[in-house]
Amino acid sequence: MSGDMIQVRNLCKEFKITRRIRKELGAGAPAGKTLTAVDDVSFECKPGRVFGLLGPNGAGKTTALRLIATMLKPTAGTIIVGGADTATDPRGVRDRIGFLTGNTGLYDRLTATEMVRYHADLHLMDPDRFEERRRMLFATLGIEEFANRRIARFSSGMRQKVSIARTIIHDPDVIVFDEPTTGLDVMTSRGIVNLIRQCRDEGKTVLFCTHIMGEVKLLCDDIGILHRGRMYFCGTKEEFEGQMTHASYEDEFIHMVGEAA
Amino acid sequence: MNRTITIAKKEFTDVLRDKRTILMMIVMPLLAIPLLMTIVIKVVQRQERKADEEQIDLAVVGAGYAPRFFETLQADSQFVIREDVREADFESLIREDSLDAGIVIPPDFQDRIGADEQASIALYYRSSSSFKVAEQRLRGAVDSYDEEIVDGRIRRLSLDPNLFDAIAIEARDISTMQEVLGKTVGGFLPYMFVIFMFTGAMYAGIDLSAGEKERGTLETLLSSPASRLEIVLGKFVVVATIGIASALISMLGLYLGVRGAIGEIPPEALDVVWDILSLKVVVMIATLLLPLAAFFSAMILALAIQAKSFKEAQSILTPFSIVIILPVAFGLLPGIELNAQTAMIPILNVSLATKEVIAGTINPVHLAISYVSLFALAAASLWFCVVWFNREETLFRN
Repeated sequence: MSGDMIQVRNLCKEFKITRRIRKELGAGAPAGKTLTAVDDVSFECKPGRVFGLLGPNGAGKTTALRLIATMLKPTAGTIIVGGADTATDPRGVRDRIGFLTGNTGLYDRLTATEMVRYHADLHLMDPDRFEERRRMLFATLGIEEFANRRIARFSSGMRQKVSIARTIIHDPDVIVFDEPTTGLDVMTSRGIVNLIRQCRDEGKTVLFCTHIMGEVKLLCDDIGILHRGRMYFCGTKEEFEGQMTHASYEDEFIHMVGEAA
Repeated sequence: MNRTITIAKKEFTDVLRDKRTILMMIVMPLLAIPLLMTIVIKVVQRQERKADEEQIDLAVVGAGYAPRFFETLQADSQFVIREDVREADFESLIREDSLDAGIVIPPDFQDRIGADEQASIALYYRSSSSFKVAEQRLRGAVDSYDEEIVDGRIRRLSLDPNLFDAIAIEARDISTMQEVLGKTVGGFLPYMFVIFMFTGAMYAGIDLSAGEKERGTLETLLSSPASRLEIVLGKFVVVATIGIASALISMLGLYLGVRGAIGEIPPEALDVVWDILSLKVVVMIATLLLPLAAFFSAMILALAIQAKSFKEAQSILTPFSIVIILPVAFGLLPGIELNAQTAMIPILNVSLATKEVIAGTINPVHLAISYVSLFALAAASLWFCVVWFNREETLFRN
């Protein structure tokens, strides 16, 4: 077995276009009966490294992450996370990952502590271990002062902190971030960037999905560029920079995606 | 199982902090029946008082042809007699509400009565107006005068009064008051219980499915180690419990309503009402409502998870609420009884069985068939719900 924590091989995902979906999509609906969201995609993520999955809106990034998190089933291909196959051991996969979406996904009527405890309980965490992790995370993220207040009254920054605590309370080997800084202010975004670095330094495998090139340059060790469901580039940051024909990451990305179009 | 309990505990905490759920689960069921009882009692009392106090403008033409009868009418304080109106004006005056009714006594009235013949009186009234009560009173006055005349004739001719009553019915009603109340009020109660159970479960069910989608929390829940089955079961338990709780709270509302109306209910009926609200009856009704709550909860979750938002889920479930009310309403129709066939029809069987339980006339075989039918439906709807929660198109419509 290789040292890869996430192995994605020839991954494909097609969605059936039902009448209802076609009606909802209107003029933007595809002509065929299916929509290929992810098309023959392969990549690996290693422990202690950040893999940046980049792509414009609708590239298939979120679908790929949902497939890795076993929320969706692949049409073809395989995904192995920490030795567990998503097809045969989906619970084993979900046990190993923490998944953070751009949408904070919190329950407004719960307190920060209740929210985090809920996810710890879903991971069947030992109460002592939970309390130890909770104290550490709440202190690191600065949640302690509003730990017993209901989430409904939190600012977006406070919400994102609770969301992070929820994601990593069970100390997962793999952390998946799906556009985690979308809609956040500079300070909160910087906090998340620091957290991703910390996770990497602790030897975690980080899969980071974004379309903000500044964050890619700052954080990623490996890069995958996804467009219209296909992987257009997959390699290390150095390999990406070595084949760049434009001055900035952003220009290179636009050039690459534009050529593909 | 641990994760199902975790989900259920969290959902309980979450929904019980939702004002909307509290309103639909506790406040509405608790207050609706006492409020309804108070309104009905007050309206009936008001109508009775109004009917007692109401005076009727009665025009009489030909009063001189039946002086004895006319005296009877004049002696009744409910009638304001007018002799200044012509028969030709009766119709127009009654139509414009200047007159309630008019009677015309023909010139040969007294002669025909004297000759032991049948005399007639013409009565003008408007059945579409509120004169219905007045008509009954006027008929009452005529009947009592008629009886007086007939009695006089029987005495004068030395006839046996039984000559005109060939058959006397000696009615012996073997129904207990509990049975009578069960068949009348008993039909109305399941209607209330089912409605409150559905609405209570509906708001919680939407919040835990479409609401979860709308808030973006479903995705994080799906990325946890909990399986889809555990997620569905955790939510299902909470929604079903809230549905049952709403129905039981409406029973408590009924109890409070009866306590509040003790002075208005006849003592003999009150004893029966307390028997109806006994622990045994309440437990039997609750066991009937249990599988129904399971069916409602599973259907609500399965349908609401299709929606992208709370609002969309409401619009999906509103027609469904009409579909479930229809069988309950059907159970209110006269002649529809619980038998082997109707016991197999879900919802209708709850409505009919509740009536029988309250009346104390429930057939155990029919009750067993009802349970089997309801549990089968609940199991099927739960399976259906799990299938929907496993469909990617349902969970990720975007």
